[in-house]
This record gives sequence, structure tokens and C-alpha cells, in this order.
Amino acid sequence: MNAILDRLAEVAADPDRYVVEWKRTHPDRKVAGVLPMNFPEELLHAAGFLPVVIQENNEPDTEGRVILAEFYCGYTRNLADQAAKGRLKIYDAFFLADHCVQLLGAADVMRFKQPHTPIFFGQFIASMSEPSTPARVRGELDHIVAEVERSTGVPLDHGRLAESIRLYNRDRALLRAVFDARREGRVHLSSKAMQNLVKSSMVMDKAEHIALLEQLLSDGIESHDPHARVRLHLSGHFCHAPKQALLELFEDCGAEIVDDDLYHGRRYITTDVREDLEPVAALSQWYFDRNVNVPCPTRVQHNADWDTYLTKAVSESGADGVVILMAKFCEPHMLLYPELRKALEAREIPYLLVETEHAGLPMETLRTRVEALVERISRRAAVAAS
Amino acid sequence: MALRTMGVDLGSTTAKAVVVDEAGGIVAHRVVQMGAVSRRGVAAAIDAVLDDAGLERGDLGQVIATGYGRRLVPDVDRTFTEITCHARGVAAMCPGAALVIDIGGQDSKAIRVDEVGLVDDFAMNDRCASGTGRFFEVLARALECRLDDLDDLALAGGQDLEVSSMCATFAETEIISLLAEGEEPTDIAASVHRAVSARTLGLVSRVGRAAPVVMTGGVARSRAAVHFLAESLRAPVIVPAEPQISGAYGAALLGLESLQGETRVIGQAVDREHVHTGQQPNGRDCSTCSLGRAKYQPIDVELWTASIAADRRP
Ligand code: SF4
Repeated sequence: MNAILDRLAEVAADPDRYVVEWKRTHPDRKVAGVLPMNFPEELLHAAGFLPVVIQENNEPDTEGRVILAEFYCGYTRNLADQAAKGRLKIYDAFFLADHCVQLLGAADVMRFKQPHTPIFFGQFIASMSEPSTPARVRGELDHIVAEVERSTGVPLDHGRLAESIRLYNRDRALLRAVFDARREGRVHLSSKAMQNLVKSSMVMDKAEHIALLEQLLSDGIESHDPHARVRLHLSGHFCHAPKQALLELFEDCGAEIVDDDLYHGRRYITTDVREDLEPVAALSQWYFDRNVNVPCPTRVQHNADWDTYLTKAVSESGADGVVILMAKFCEPHMLLYPELRKALEAREIPYLLVETEHAGLPMETLRTRVEALVERISRRAAVAAS
Repeated sequence: MALRTMGVDLGSTTAKAVVVDEAGGIVAHRVVQMGAVSRRGVAAAIDAVLDDAGLERGDLGQVIATGYGRRLVPDVDRTFTEITCHARGVAAMCPGAALVIDIGGQDSKAIRVDEVGLVDDFAMNDRCASGTGRFFEVLARALECRLDDLDDLALAGGQDLEVSSMCATFAETEIISLLAEGEEPTDIAASVHRAVSARTLGLVSRVGRAAPVVMTGGVARSRAAVHFLAESLRAPVIVPAEPQISGAYGAALLGLESLQGETRVIGQAVDREHVHTGQQPNGRDCSTCSLGRAKYQPIDVELWTASIAADRRP
């Protein structure tokens, strides 16, 4: 076993423990809980916070179960449950910049349950192609900077912000190196291990994460030999990590995941912040660049869409099929799904839709559906070859 | 020893086993009804089918397991999902079938297949038992009739009552309330069947409509279920004479193919228009389709329901 991968897996499995331990060793520093998916963490890092993307946990929803309606996605209901149980008290402030209605509902619960923890909400415009959008995004970033300064009581040091941007870019570049190597078949890491790489990055101190990644890459990754019959692209889940049991199921059914556009995957690491611009302007530009590199269904952009991205990604990786992981009741995803489906069907790319929930996934039924996809692809290939 | 392969389908409420010869013809088959995903059921089905075929387990070239409990079947060469196996089995039973609707004890699926039995697309019910055999058991219980009597009851129903709940648990309450309102059991049974068919149509729409339609699984033995499905699809529904064994049959054929190294439509195929001229409608040579010993007679639902109308109970 690889000690570095083990350490990253440990942090990914229990982010709260990492946060508590970090606070113990950094008594003068604060931890900012960040909600997905567009908040520029670099700002918080430069202001001295440890920015941590708040993760769905593995506990069953109990105390907070009834706070949000049944038709909220599993992630937001779990956030409400974590808030109700006091699990989010490890954070000194909360920050978000996305306005999915369900996420706002969870943020409201957090505010209600932790009234003394500041919560800062910057609302990035979702309509990307309007002539006024760049100015409005920049205005919103200035507002966020002001909020960050208000929470620390000191002006943001732009030199430090540039340094934070470099650090985050370095981390993303290292992660992308592993993701690219997987896509090109040069490393065969399990999808669980790939998720741990990104999830730990969302939690850990960036410098510490970078050091581990550099060590990992210079040691070389001892990866398993894939006997997989088919290569799959995982698509969807743009706020929280798919359950690892589900990822293991794909591999257990004879598939190898070769690429993805998950938030806990390529979506999080795809775009660097430009280092040649004034730092706040660069973060503003990053918001636009991100949506071009991996378009998000929560944004509207005339010249970038997820379905085109997805089919292109599949042809680049040579994936034989796509598994769409959709958080149940995730409205933006549900609304875009027919387009994804049309695009995949037009190109005869086999796909499977898997709706996920916080708990109670019907694993045996899912196994049948995933195996059937794998069989469908591999039998077709066998017949075509005969 | 001539080549024989066996397919074993361990479903949620029944175990099925089929032995085929080297031409894909069925040598023996068994359906055993037992408890949920029953290991005893599968052992009984295997023992019985081997007995019928006059074979020992060691005589078999391949044993392939399928069905919900496929991983529980001991000593198999490999497993395939019921999706793949039903598609394969139906392609052999009813060549040219384009859409398979399989409704078993606890699940239902729609599978679009190509001419050699390769799956084009599929959809399954998630975890809700609505529209499955279980659902009809609930209906029979609420109407205080035997499951076998449900067909006649439903086919005698005329009025279309509103049945909104498709959850097996809530539907029972709704049925009881319709009875309390004085509605006729025949109308209730027919209306529930209509609602179930509409639900199945939802599954079909996920893979896209295609024809000919073949229905398999235990529920395909219900005349009423087939009738109302055909009505809602507005298309004939073909039912093989042994609709429960198509998965096990497909598994046995896949075992045979893995030994023979090819995929083609083989087996005891019969389709409605097919005259044994040496050519199947899909243009393939049918010299291997064993028509001389054909056992599977697809049923045209319109003819079928017309014929049963005569002996409807008052
Ligand atoms: S998963 Fe979907 S519904 Fe849930 S917070 Fe994210 S965007 Fe909103």
C-alpha cells in the first residue's frame, strides 16, 4: 500500500477530524467552511483561513432530517442534518457564492442553527453571456473581498492573494497530471483513490497537500492492473462526492473509470487562475474560464454547454460509455439531463443514469444495471469483432 | 458426450433452470416457486432439470447463472445479468423481437434488443414493486380473490375508475376505499391493471417504443396483464408459451456461445410470420432454429383476449 494515498484517503474519509486537528495545531487561525461550487477559496487562504469545502458525511440523517423537505437533494439535507447535530461548529465562518435554491435552503438552516457563526453569501450571476456579466461578477468579487476583510478585520494583501493563487494552481496542476495520466492509460488508480486525491485537496492545507502530491508523483504510483472489460466516463455530481461503495461497484462490475466531470474530480481541478492578471481580476476571469472548461448546468452560456463537453471528453478518453450520476432532486441536473441524453444517443454512446441519495441506495439493483451496461458494451464489441 | 449447457435464473420469487443442446434447442426446463431468492429453490430447479435431461452436473459444458440472485448460485462458470439473458433468450424464442417487457415477482424491466439479441437500451424499476407480480398479489388480497381469478375479474371490468396510487402499500388502501364506495370488483381490477400498464409504459418510454413487443416473466402468464399492456401500448404483445424461462434460456445460450465463440440467433425460435423456409425475417439462415421441435408458440394478444372473452365469467 502507498502511505501517501493512505494519508489522503484518511483525510477524505474524515474531514472533520482533520479540521479539528488542524485547529489544535494552529490555535490562532480560523477555518472557513465553503459550500460548492464556485467560491474562490484562494481569497480565504490569502486572508489566513483554512478553506474547507464542507463534505456530505456518512452518518444517517436523523436530527435534521425533517428540516428540509424530502425533495431537497441528499447533500443539502445532509448539510441540514450536520447543522442540527452541531457538526458544523468546527467552522468559524461559512462562505458561498452559488445560488442553487436547495443550497440556499441548507445555508439558511446553518444560519439558524449557528446564529453566531458569520455566513457570507456572494451571488455570482448564472447568465454568463450577458454584456453586463463581467462587470457584475467583478462587483460581486469586490463584495466578497470586502466581506472577507470584514471577517478578518484587516485588508486583503494582494501579494498574498497572488501567492495563494500560485499555490492553488500548483495543487490543481499536480492533480490534473494524475487525471490526465489516468485518461491516457498511464496510471490505473481506482476511482475511489482518485476521489480521495481531490476530496483531500478540498479539505487539507494546500501546502501540505501539494507536498504529499509531489512526493506521490516522484515516488511513482503503484497502481492496480486493470482487467476491466469496459472503460467508463463518470458524469454529474457537481456538489458532493459520490459514495465510494458506488465507485467500487462500477469496478467490481468490470468497468474502469477513465475520466470524469465530477466536482470531486475533474470539475474541481480543471481551471487555473491566471497569474498574469491583477489577482481579483484573475479570480473573476477564473469564474468564466471554469464554465468553459467543464460547463456547469447551473450556468447559462451561449458558447459552452455540458453535452458538447461530455461527448468531446468521451471521444478524447476513448470511454466506451457514460454513467451519469445524478443527485436525486438536483433540479439543474434534472433539467439538463434530456439534453445530455439526446447528445449521447445521437453519438450512440451507451449510458446509464444512476440517481443517488444520501442513504439507502439499492445496491443489488444498481449492480444489475451497471453489469448490464458493461455486458451491453462488451457483447457489442465482441460481436463487432467477430 | 454431446454438448449441453445450462442456464439458471434465480429471481426474487422463482428459480428457473434450462438445459440446451448444441443447436440451442431446449432439452429440459424447470420453474420452481419458492421463498425470496431461495437457495433451496435454485437447488431444486437444477436437480429437477438435470433429472429431466438425464444428465449429471459434470456433463454440462457451461453453467451460467442470471437473475437477481445470480451471485448465490453455486458452481457456475460465470454470471450474466437478467437484462442480457432475457434479451438473448427472447431473440431466440421470438426472432425479430425489438422490445422485451419482463415483469417478474419484484421487478420489471423494458429492454430494447437488436436482431441477434444484443441489448440496445434498458430500463428497470428502481425499488418500488408497483406493476410487478407482488403488486398483483396485493390486488388479489384486497379483492379477496385468488391470484388465478384476477384475470377473469379484470377482463370483465368496463368502467375506468381513477386509481392514483401506484405504491403497493397505498394501492391496497385505495382499493379498499373503492370497494367501500360500492365500486364493482371487476371495474376495480380492470382499473388497477390499466394503471399498472400505464406505469409500464413509463418504463418503455425510457428506452423508446419498438415493435414487435414480447412480454416475459411470471406476470406474462396473466391474460389480463397482457391484455391491458397491449391496450396501453396500442400494439400486439407476444407471449412465449413459457414466458418465465426466457432468462434461463438466454443464459444457457450465452454459455453455448462462449463455447462456440459466436453470437447468432439460435434456439427454438418461432415467430408469428415465420414459415420455415430456411430464412428468418431478419435474413439469417434459420437452419439452426430447430423449428421441427418448436415449442414456443407466441401468442397474439388480440386473438388471445378475443378467445378468452367467450369463457368470461359472468
Ligand atoms: S446537488 Fe444540485 S440541488 Fe444539490 S446543492 Fe448541488 S446543484 Fe443544488
